[in-house]
Amino acid sequence: MNALLDGILAVLEPTVMLCMGAGVIIGMLVGMFPGITATMAVALASGFTMTLDPVQGLAVLLTIYVAANFGDRIPSILINTPGTPASIATTFDGYPMAKNGRAGLALIVSALVSAIGIIASMVLFAFASVPLAQLALKFGPSEMFAVVILAMTIMISISSKSIAKGLLAGVIGLTIATIGRDPITGDARFTFGIRDLNGGLDFIAVIIGLFGIAELFDQLLTHRQFKIKPISALGRWWPTKSEYKQIVKPTGIAGLVGLVVGIIPGAGGDIAGLLGWDRAKAASKNKAEYGKGSIEGIAASDVASSATLGGSLTTTMALGIPGDSVMAVMIGSMIVWGIQPGPSLFVNQPSLVVTITAIMVLATLITLAINLVRMPMMVKLLDMPVHYIWATVLVFCLVGTYATTNNMFTVIVMLVFGVIGVILKRSGIPASPIVLGLILGPLAESNLRRSLLIDGPAGLVGKPISATLISLALIAIVVSLAAPIIARRRAKQAAAAPTN
Amino acid sequence: MTELNQLADSSGDIILSPEELAAEHDLAARPSRRLEIVIAVTALVLSVTAIVLSQNIYLRMGAGGLDPKWWPTVLSSIAAGLSAILVGFALFGPTVSRGDLESVADGGWQRMLLALALSALYVFAWAQIGYIVPTIIYLAALLWLFGLRAWKGLVLFPLITTGFIYGLFHTMLRVPL
Repeated sequence: MNALLDGILAVLEPTVMLCMGAGVIIGMLVGMFPGITATMAVALASGFTMTLDPVQGLAVLLTIYVAANFGDRIPSILINTPGTPASIATTFDGYPMAKNGRAGLALIVSALVSAIGIIASMVLFAFASVPLAQLALKFGPSEMFAVVILAMTIMISISSKSIAKGLLAGVIGLTIATIGRDPITGDARFTFGIRDLNGGLDFIAVIIGLFGIAELFDQLLTHRQFKIKPISALGRWWPTKSEYKQIVKPTGIAGLVGLVVGIIPGAGGDIAGLLGWDRAKAASKNKAEYGKGSIEGIAASDVASSATLGGSLTTTMALGIPGDSVMAVMIGSMIVWGIQPGPSLFVNQPSLVVTITAIMVLATLITLAINLVRMPMMVKLLDMPVHYIWATVLVFCLVGTYATTNNMFTVIVMLVFGVIGVILKRSGIPASPIVLGLILGPLAESNLRRSLLIDGPAGLVGKPISATLISLALIAIVVSLAAPIIARRRAKQAAAAPTN
Repeated sequence: MTELNQLADSSGDIILSPEELAAEHDLAARPSRRLEIVIAVTALVLSVTAIVLSQNIYLRMGAGGLDPKWWPTVLSSIAAGLSAILVGFALFGPTVSRGDLESVADGGWQRMLLALALSALYVFAWAQIGYIVPTIIYLAALLWLFGLRAWKGLVLFPLITTGFIYGLFHTMLRVPL
């Protein structure tokens, strides 16, 4: 009971509320500007939250995570361009609604169902995280190593167009994690005599480089001298009674899809939005309206993508395995604060788990209120010239990285990883598995070495839990290898069908 | 072309509707076998280098068993194997689509490399002469590079942003800039 009360009281501190206010503003803004993702914003904010208390810092980062999930719907609806990948499916019905003079209605329905999705997912977090953490507490070294391998393979199979490039990215991340002193013997590995590398590469610098600088450099490479004009006639804002009734069923179906997808490491709002929209369409009486400005369609896509947040938080906090790329960045920050996400968090700091839940719920309610009241003003922000955004992001990346260690070497590391990141991006090698490998590398190495020393290689495949998890990892790879082959075969058959 | 519908805003960008954009501009990056070969061969060379470096890790306690060399060697060997598979695909497989990547715009490389050079210069100047003056100049130079020509923006934005960052990091968060 004390943990519950302490956890809630921690959120009600004025400084924490102030941090949440800052998080809402930053999150809404980054969500609204296409090209600036929630991952990039959380990575950037990590720089200036390092010096804050953990609860204050978490308030900023988690609120950005929530608010970006609302802000990214606005450009999807008004300019047919997703603010972040999570709102890709919003464009299917959001933009057609806006073209039909119902942009205001689309924006309000989107905000309402997004809030419902996040709150429902936080209920899942409250109920599922404790039993999952209790199960994970029983894991030995071989099981923990198997969990890491499973999480990495699932993330790679979902986030990568090419499985070989995804696996390569994961291995690159694990290799980068070996830089520095060996945790057992203290021998220097890949330090090349540079004293600043003895402690390994700074998480935050690498993350800001890969997600902040690399994304920005890619925009600098590809930006053209035109931009899309937003829909200016917003029409009516609030749904009628019958429209409220109409969105109940798709919200329920797609919300469930989002909750399930959210639990899977690496599967985020983009996948959930598309799947939720598809499932709701399949179950709808008005299938033909989907994709042409259906209020059901926008409810389905947005509730599904928002409902992933709690599931992603569950795997992150209960297992220490990032549920999505934002959570990977968040784990990096938490480690710097001395908080180790994973099953032990529920034993050592139960009040912090309550605080995290309270921050997520409160952030959702505050952002919803702002969306409902101030939406017309926020729409005007879409006109902000891009050169101001680029310059601000660049200088914040540099100063924010410096703030994490007060050492220029960290800034140089960040810039180097920015360049590496843009090369990898242009090469089709995803950044998320690299960050996952970097964060989980020490956990994987120490548990594998311990497991091999205790039980030998048989320990990994001889124990039922680790054997099951490693089998699932192999299945994930086989499925993702087979899926494109099956899809190509089906496409060929479909193309051949009319001629036959 | 939709010249009659195209307008230019204050920053010089041409404003289009999403339909006009989709109809007139194919922005997707083109698949390229040559690029895939370069990527795969580079990955292979780097992986082999990593194997050599792993083998050269100096051990104070003597080698053998699960020593500090072991895990990096395993990882770099896996990376070499994956890179070899990529080389095979690049040489003999079909050319694959580059996903959601956009093609590089005219002047894109120049803009990115200049921004990188300015950032490197800024880090050097900041370490040598402190935060305030280099940040103002850096921001103004970036805005110029990104296409802003209005003098008010070039002067006021760097001053305000530098002051805001100084207030946030140095004064509030006590980071010595």
